[in-house]
Amino acid sequence: MLGCAEDVRKKSKSNSKGNSGSFAALRMTRDFLRIRMRFGLKRRMRATAVLGLAAGVCAVAAMAQNLEPAQIEHPAADSWPVYHGDYTGRRHSALTQINQRNVSGLGLAWAFQTNQTASIKSSPLLVDGVLYFTVPDNVWAVDARSGHQLWHYHRPSTQGDHIGHRGVAMYKGWLYFTTPDCHLISLDAKNGRVRWDKLIADVNKGYWTTMDPLVVKNHVIVGVSGDFDNLPGYLRSFEPERGEVQWQWDATPPAGTPNTTTGGMTWMTGTYDPELNLVYWGTGNPTPVLNGTTRPGDNPWTCAIVAIDPDDGKLKWGFQVSPHDTHDWDAVETPVLVDRDFHGKPRKMLMQASRNGYFFVLDRTDGKNLLTEPFGPVNWSKGIDAQGRPIPNPDKEPAPDGRIVAPDEGGVTNYRAPSFDPKTGLFIVDAHPSWSLYFAKPADGYYGWAGADYDVWGKSQIEAIDYQTGKLRWVHPVGGGSGAGVLTTDGGLTVTGDSTGNLLILNTADGKMLWHAGMGESMQSSPITYMLDGRQYIVTGSGGVLFVWALPEGVGAAHSAAKGR
Amino acid sequence: MKGLRIAVLAAAVAGVVAVCGVTRGPVHAAGQNPTMETPPAKGQTAIDPGAAIYEKRCAVCHGTHREGDLPWFPPLAGISHRLSAEQITALVHSGKGRMPGFPSLQGTELEQLLHFLSTAPEGAANASKAAGEAKPSAQVASGEALFHQNCAFCHGRDAMGGETGPDLTQSKLVLADKNGDKIAPLVHEGRPETKMPGFNFSNEEMASLVAFIHSRVQSASEHKGSRRGVSVEDLQTGNAEAGKAYFNGAGGCAKCHSATGDLAGIARHLQGLSLEERMLYPRNVPSKVVVTLPSGETVTGTLAYRDEFTVGLRDANGTYRSWPTRAVKYTVTEPAEAHVELLPKYTDDEIHNLMAYLQTLK
Repeated sequence: MLGCAEDVRKKSKSNSKGNSGSFAALRMTRDFLRIRMRFGLKRRMRATAVLGLAAGVCAVAAMAQNLEPAQIEHPAADSWPVYHGDYTGRRHSALTQINQRNVSGLGLAWAFQTNQTASIKSSPLLVDGVLYFTVPDNVWAVDARSGHQLWHYHRPSTQGDHIGHRGVAMYKGWLYFTTPDCHLISLDAKNGRVRWDKLIADVNKGYWTTMDPLVVKNHVIVGVSGDFDNLPGYLRSFEPERGEVQWQWDATPPAGTPNTTTGGMTWMTGTYDPELNLVYWGTGNPTPVLNGTTRPGDNPWTCAIVAIDPDDGKLKWGFQVSPHDTHDWDAVETPVLVDRDFHGKPRKMLMQASRNGYFFVLDRTDGKNLLTEPFGPVNWSKGIDAQGRPIPNPDKEPAPDGRIVAPDEGGVTNYRAPSFDPKTGLFIVDAHPSWSLYFAKPADGYYGWAGADYDVWGKSQIEAIDYQTGKLRWVHPVGGGSGAGVLTTDGGLTVTGDSTGNLLILNTADGKMLWHAGMGESMQSSPITYMLDGRQYIVTGSGGVLFVWALPEGVGAAHSAAKGR
Repeated sequence: MKGLRIAVLAAAVAGVVAVCGVTRGPVHAAGQNPTMETPPAKGQTAIDPGAAIYEKRCAVCHGTHREGDLPWFPPLAGISHRLSAEQITALVHSGKGRMPGFPSLQGTELEQLLHFLSTAPEGAANASKAAGEAKPSAQVASGEALFHQNCAFCHGRDAMGGETGPDLTQSKLVLADKNGDKIAPLVHEGRPETKMPGFNFSNEEMASLVAFIHSRVQSASEHKGSRRGVSVEDLQTGNAEAGKAYFNGAGGCAKCHSATGDLAGIARHLQGLSLEERMLYPRNVPSKVVVTLPSGETVTGTLAYRDEFTVGLRDANGTYRSWPTRAVKYTVTEPAEAHVELLPKYTDDEIHNLMAYLQTLK
């Protein structure tokens, strides 16, 4: 099948008008995709051979570099079709070829040099043997087997913050890319050519975009960034084919509404429950950021987890993890969806290790709180209210002579993704216990940042949280300040990084070191994994280089009973 | 600018091309038309031969100041950070999308164009948003654009501090800087200990960045009465007597420090926020390490590197040595650790009192 796909790619290039195969061929393709979803790799290869004979090359041709939304719901082992790998945000893979017994033999399969000074902060997508990843203003398509570049799309922008970029989204044969100056660009996945270019927000007002859109059915859901101005955050849904706006959900009222807040930026990718048909999203801090006097009250829906109907953008429920925030603690960390027992009762849960230092477990059907426990030092709250929300202590709001506050402004965690491991029931997160000073005075005004804060001290550690209690099962120190996300696998592995540039593979059960490699610069993204040609790969970014790891060829093939993720 | 460009285009090449300009259709014909000459815009000196080539071949689409016109024409400001000379050459020669190729651009002409594209554009920046400020010079405006793209997230759009990054208008390093002698090396190298990355700016770009930062210092100093950020006056709310009692008692500071010894005159060297930050957690205090080798030999020095797998030190001669952590035993003495232990114990009053006391040690 794999050689076949290569051929197909060449064919589709030479026959660019050949998108419309015969009806029969399309039906065969659809059937093929179904089989593809239902069976593992070995069976799939057999099925491919059969189909290849039956349908000819044409049926497969329509499938190259193509992703149906239904495939995101049940990702195959040879794909990573959405930012978090699947809709649950667990960043857990069922792959076991690389496991505790053989991880010591792990080595470099290939590396890709972007030749950029910008760090890779994106999670690559893997669809039909091609990896797609980004830094601001740039998208690459790279052969996942060899690291060979297929195309590079570069769109320089002089406006908007170039702080980072999280990656592209995919729908059928099209990619969706957000730019620092707030455009949503649809690219042809085959060649990186622009199909259309739509505006997400006005960069001149102070918005910028870095996020990876979430594709749900026929919706491309996009969020915005912007903390330097008093602006409302929102989600906007685009129709994937023509880019028309389908709906917009506003986190906060329009700027200038008296006694209300602005902010609630939506700068990280959410998760989705197809059964409840709800999209879950974290929202950012209110503005003005450090001075809350002009925005009395809880400031919904800032620093909140919200459940939104992806078809009409209506809010089903919201839960504020930091009511009336004055410390910049965006609640945009992954809302991880887990179905299992909580205190003896089966639950559809949502878990978030939040930047404000608290770990939350919610019932995601209605947003009711099940657990709120700190997972790092927090000194800013007076306790937990009846709804399970921390109660902010007014004495720890930024002040002219300074307040000592834990955690620091970067929070106990941040954009780096956590992972949930089903076997151990552990929620594993890169945590940053920290302290800082917060200042605000009238001269700082009531616009944008409106104060100043200074990190005093912090350290980084991988923490394994027992979701039933919120208690830490194990802790693995990783230095001063790490930006690495976490991946877990059924091989019993926790893949992450430390602050000095080492890639670390830990034993998920106890956090003990199993394998490591120096990459030269600390990981600023979250690792991914997939299986191709019976070989499992782990992909990690370091600086401007993408490193791809695997066991030596042939090793582990005996274990290549590739389960779906 | 867009209007001007279209006007020039329309005037220079009539008919089809003008329609193209208006409808934003392909402009192949315009770009390849050898008779197409755009006079230098007002105030632009066209001494740079590369600039002249740019004016002639590229400006019609990419803008007089390389600002582009999105989504139709990408800006070329800063292109040399994103593409190598080879990549730019390839694009120029073969074109891309609706951009025509210019295969005849070779040799000296090509080099001049590449050089021009590697320089900072003039006047491409946004004007400063701060009200009442005089229109910045072209250099300051270029620096501002560069600052907004690369520095503003941490240091704030006005360089007066933002998410994590300090207020540069009160930075000792910035205030001591003369024409970039301090700022430029720091920006090039970055500050790994604070996670500030290094930036690969050209000399011209660096000069514009430095000019922008100095212009921010200038305008901040003109608003002294109501200045933002943390000033020395803000940190005078404590009680020095209570601070002294804490120093010698509950705080346990006197176990390691002495007001007449190591801290004598500290308030002369450090003021305001610098003193308070140093008090709470002194960064970059050398830690001592003793490494015991498998042979039993011990090596003592200043801790120079440590991760889970490697420990490195500088010995008394300044020589760097390192070992795999699994092969040796080592003990690190970190004097600053006592400061970390205090962080969860402090009340804000205790910090302000301690600060008041330290400020008496002149």
